[in-house]
Amino acid sequence: MLAHDVLVIGAGLAGQRAALAAAEDGAAVGILSKVHPVRSHSNAAQGGINAALNPEDSWESHAYDTVKGSDYLGDQDAIEIMCREAPAEILALEHLGVTFHRNEQGRLGTRAFGGASAARTYYVADITGQAILHVLYEQLMKHSEVYRYEEWFTTSLVRDGDGHIVGCVARNIRDGAMELFAAKCVILACGGNGQIYNPTTNALICTGDGIAMAYRIGAPLMDMEMVQYHPTTLAGNGLLVTEGARGEGAHLYNAQGERFMEKYAPNKMELASRDVVSRAEQTEINEGRGFPDGTVALDITKVPRKRIHEALREIVNVGRDFAGVDITREPIHIKPGNHYTMGGVKTDVDGRTDIPGLYAAGEVACVSVHGGNRLGANSLLDTLVFGRRSGKHAAEHARNHKLPQVSNTVVDDEERGIREIVGRDSGNGRRVAQIREELGRVMDEHVAVFRDEDGLLKAGETVQRLKEEARNVTIDDKGTVFNQDLLGAIELGFMLDNAECVVVAALERKESRGAQFRTDYPERDDDDWLKHIDLSLDGDRPAVTYSEVTLTQWEPEERKY
Amino acid sequence: MPDYSLKIRRYNPESGQPAYWQQFDVDLAGCSCQAAICGSCGVRINGMSRLACNTKLGEAAEDAPNGAIVVEPMGNMPVLKDLIVDMDAVHWKKVQRVVPWLLPEGDPPDREYIVDPESMIDITQSMACIHCGACVSACLSMEVDPEFIGPAALAKAYRFVGDPRDAFTEDRLLDLAEDPHGIYDCTHCFACIEVCPKDVAPMNQIMRLRRRATSDYGIKDGNNGYGHEKAFSDLIEKYGLLSEAQLLPKSYGDGSLIRAQVKPAALKELTAKLPTVIRGLRSGKVSPKTALIHRKLKDQDQIRRMYKEVESHEDRLELNLYIVGDSDAEEEGTMAEGGQEG
Amino acid sequence: MKLAYWPGCVSRGFTPELHGAMAAVAPKLGLELVELDRANCCGAGFISEHNQELADTLNARTFALAQGVDGAAGMVNICSTCQGAQSECQERLDADAAYRAHINEHLEPEGLEYERGGAWWNKNLLWLLVEEIGLDALRERVVRPLEGLRVGPFYGCYIVRPTRRLGYELYPDRDKYLEWVIEACGAAPVKYAGSHKCCGFPIVTTNRETSLRQAGRHMADALDAGADCVVTPCPLCHLNLDLQQPESQAFVERDLGIPVLHLPQLIGLALGLDFKELGLHRHVVKTDEVQAKVAALAAA
Repeated sequence: MLAHDVLVIGAGLAGQRAALAAAEDGAAVGILSKVHPVRSHSNAAQGGINAALNPEDSWESHAYDTVKGSDYLGDQDAIEIMCREAPAEILALEHLGVTFHRNEQGRLGTRAFGGASAARTYYVADITGQAILHVLYEQLMKHSEVYRYEEWFTTSLVRDGDGHIVGCVARNIRDGAMELFAAKCVILACGGNGQIYNPTTNALICTGDGIAMAYRIGAPLMDMEMVQYHPTTLAGNGLLVTEGARGEGAHLYNAQGERFMEKYAPNKMELASRDVVSRAEQTEINEGRGFPDGTVALDITKVPRKRIHEALREIVNVGRDFAGVDITREPIHIKPGNHYTMGGVKTDVDGRTDIPGLYAAGEVACVSVHGGNRLGANSLLDTLVFGRRSGKHAAEHARNHKLPQVSNTVVDDEERGIREIVGRDSGNGRRVAQIREELGRVMDEHVAVFRDEDGLLKAGETVQRLKEEARNVTIDDKGTVFNQDLLGAIELGFMLDNAECVVVAALERKESRGAQFRTDYPERDDDDWLKHIDLSLDGDRPAVTYSEVTLTQWEPEERKY
Repeated sequence: MPDYSLKIRRYNPESGQPAYWQQFDVDLAGCSCQAAICGSCGVRINGMSRLACNTKLGEAAEDAPNGAIVVEPMGNMPVLKDLIVDMDAVHWKKVQRVVPWLLPEGDPPDREYIVDPESMIDITQSMACIHCGACVSACLSMEVDPEFIGPAALAKAYRFVGDPRDAFTEDRLLDLAEDPHGIYDCTHCFACIEVCPKDVAPMNQIMRLRRRATSDYGIKDGNNGYGHEKAFSDLIEKYGLLSEAQLLPKSYGDGSLIRAQVKPAALKELTAKLPTVIRGLRSGKVSPKTALIHRKLKDQDQIRRMYKEVESHEDRLELNLYIVGDSDAEEEGTMAEGGQEG
Repeated sequence: MKLAYWPGCVSRGFTPELHGAMAAVAPKLGLELVELDRANCCGAGFISEHNQELADTLNARTFALAQGVDGAAGMVNICSTCQGAQSECQERLDADAAYRAHINEHLEPEGLEYERGGAWWNKNLLWLLVEEIGLDALRERVVRPLEGLRVGPFYGCYIVRPTRRLGYELYPDRDKYLEWVIEACGAAPVKYAGSHKCCGFPIVTTNRETSLRQAGRHMADALDAGADCVVTPCPLCHLNLDLQQPESQAFVERDLGIPVLHLPQLIGLALGLDFKELGLHRHVVKTDEVQAKVAALAAA
């Protein structure tokens, strides 16, 4: 048995930030990740990170933009904390070595981003997430006292008889060994569930593992219906084109050459919040003004070549390698595509879930700072601020608790489960990839930008059937070394739990708010629905309850961009 | 979609069998983002180290010997299973070797460090590395010297050497110059530049480490890196053309012929070289005249003037095409913003 | 075809047989070479390592001299390293007008100026053979097809990487030309692991072991693949592969003794030139067996 004061599961930005914060406060930390930390999906955050750091800007303005962006579903106490702590977080990163873009005075420089009333997005070209992730990893390499378990796959969380978290069971991907990790507290930081959709901007690893594992041991989930569709993704493969492109001045056109955002958001145009832009695009496409491939055009040629080269280099590569388009010379076809999980494991502002000792931070969590719609460049901020707060709080918790005694029988249970999967006759059931593919398509068809009851019910039925089929899913690889086949089968189970919760919550919310647009309930309804939908496992189905949205200084008003 | 035939190198450590070739559909083991950013899917395709995810099957099929696209695990690293190599044992160990974290002096300022904007763009080229291992796999020096620190880790080192916030620039350079497997172990073969999917151009970063070490800090390393560069550049200044006969002794004497005679290490190296020179003379390749008397270029004064003119700048001018791009020349020049290296 | 001709330093220093062979071969190929006898060393990557602006200035000077040769179709070199080092500088000079103007200021006192683009080019003999002279034209001139001679190509890094800088977008097969030329000469190209790898020469003074181990390994691979000899368009590679071969043997712990020809020597053999004229006696690794094989052909 391996033991740590604080065990962090997931090593993207939230996980690494949490691990460093906990270690700084004296905790013995272990950090587990199913991929090498630099392969984490935080890499994909291109555009930047928001903070009201300029003297002319204010955290209140940032917080208001975030509240408005969330369509008033975000908890304002949490949003205030995030926006107040943002400047210090940026400076801390800068001091650690992040190579943030500078202005001519050599000070931190900003770019404009969607839904923001000031240019407050700090960035490193269009590799901001990667740059921060790598700098945090530099710190992990420096602080060798943080013990790294790289390429370890967590299969389940473990609670004791009092309901307190006591650790997890994980598989060493390299040799298949199952190990029990005992911990005084566990911080989940294993990202979102984008892979339940196809296409998605998310990496193959984003299978909602943490959300499902927490849900399975009784932690409530919140706002699961809130799934962000990013306005600029490539048709077909779903690859992301950063919002930074529009921040740098790119425009959107329909097939008739109209800059259609004039109709939907006359003030902010292309830089309205993401739900608004995605809906506008989808409306154009649905009403026949898109291109035959179901897209509209993003025209980046307006941005000077040198600026593209220095600030949007990744997009040049993505256009060239994956769409065959030179974005410096011609528009690129894009459409809304699955991008971000606003919902997740319900936490307070210190990352605490309803299960004592269990924390969650980053995309796996729902604090909620994003409510119905996350603003661009707020996700990195969320991971860092709440990653740090979780790490600090967990270290404090660890100081006051003893290392729990955990019985090894939980490992036997997990091993039995795995033997059962491996032992299935190949040929009897469907394959993981087939179920995954069907799930992704059905979610993208019915639980996307526009939703209605019929579609959601269909999606719900499909998910239930797939859950049945997944019980007999078969795999080819029966080995122990790098058995990705087996991990795929386990991930599939996590994904289906996620999908079920998304569909149930989307059916439940009978109004349109943020990313949830119900064509059968097209208006926002503050009287009945200014509340969070919480889901908890009850038997084998999610039970719905509600919780209050925390309002501090901003009353809900009509949202215009 | 056309049919593609893939010939994949398989290896299962549990089978007890050696690696074998198998022809079939795509079966990539490590893969995550599918957008050329996570760096998990480094492999060799038709012998070329690269990311699988941004390789177009059609193009790969065109280069494929006998129609089958050949997919193998990366080179210079031990194979764990099928296409998966042990990057920890090689790549990450080497990264760890270069002290890969910022070492600023004293306490940080209240606000941000104020630095030249170009310097941040400059090291962002190295930050763009996704640690896919393609350059390590392709490195020709590492192929014969597994201890070579290698392209990825040295590019990572430049990320700190080029960072004005780091306070240990000279120590870092001294360390990398003195290591026999450091910056002077790079054979300048461009393989890393060729395969890097992110335009990090690791070899260029290694050359910049050398430039910093010699020109900025005058580090006279035990590997003769300083001596060789100095000797080369001095000879061209003096004669306009290269003479190998003088290059060798001068290299070992930190660029000086006299010092080469009195420095014990230089003498030792020179004696080791002696058979080569004698063989050159004996084969009739080299006449005693070519060996000893250097021809001087007509118009040599022009070369000297250019040396003087260029080297009298306070700042070295360095045009990094990664930063400025190809401005198509007809467009407005960008040199004014294009990377002054202080 | 009239050409501005840059022989490089090494062909006039430690590999004089290359310079001689090129002089003998050129007229046979219908080339009129105007030697740039005032041009300077390309820097071989070391000047740009030392100071990029200086390297660019020196090579801009060479280009300007070449552009000043009346009636020349372009510039030809006989050294992979010159090609690579000069292409590197040319890439920067061509990429940025302001930078080019700045470098040209250094040339102004002598009335020289490098002009970008147009039809002007700088090509290694290997590229020239395939792209300007043409393999058919070469084949027509072959009087002594080198039948039965098994030749391992050795390109030299500077002429194969990086492909983007070296015009592979326009000429994607430049990494196959050596095999094509060997075939056009009637000989058989030998496939072996090291043909496109590094000879190790650039670090022979800084890390002798890494350097000579590379040279030795490639020659051993060529031998194992059945090559009678190796041919290279790069005299710097030649230094490590031929001149240093007796030393490199020690690092691969075996006897080698494989002759290494310069590209013009191989062509010269096929064009019927005599061994002495091609300087085949001036090699460290004796070329007697190659000579004997070729002599036998001539007799046949």
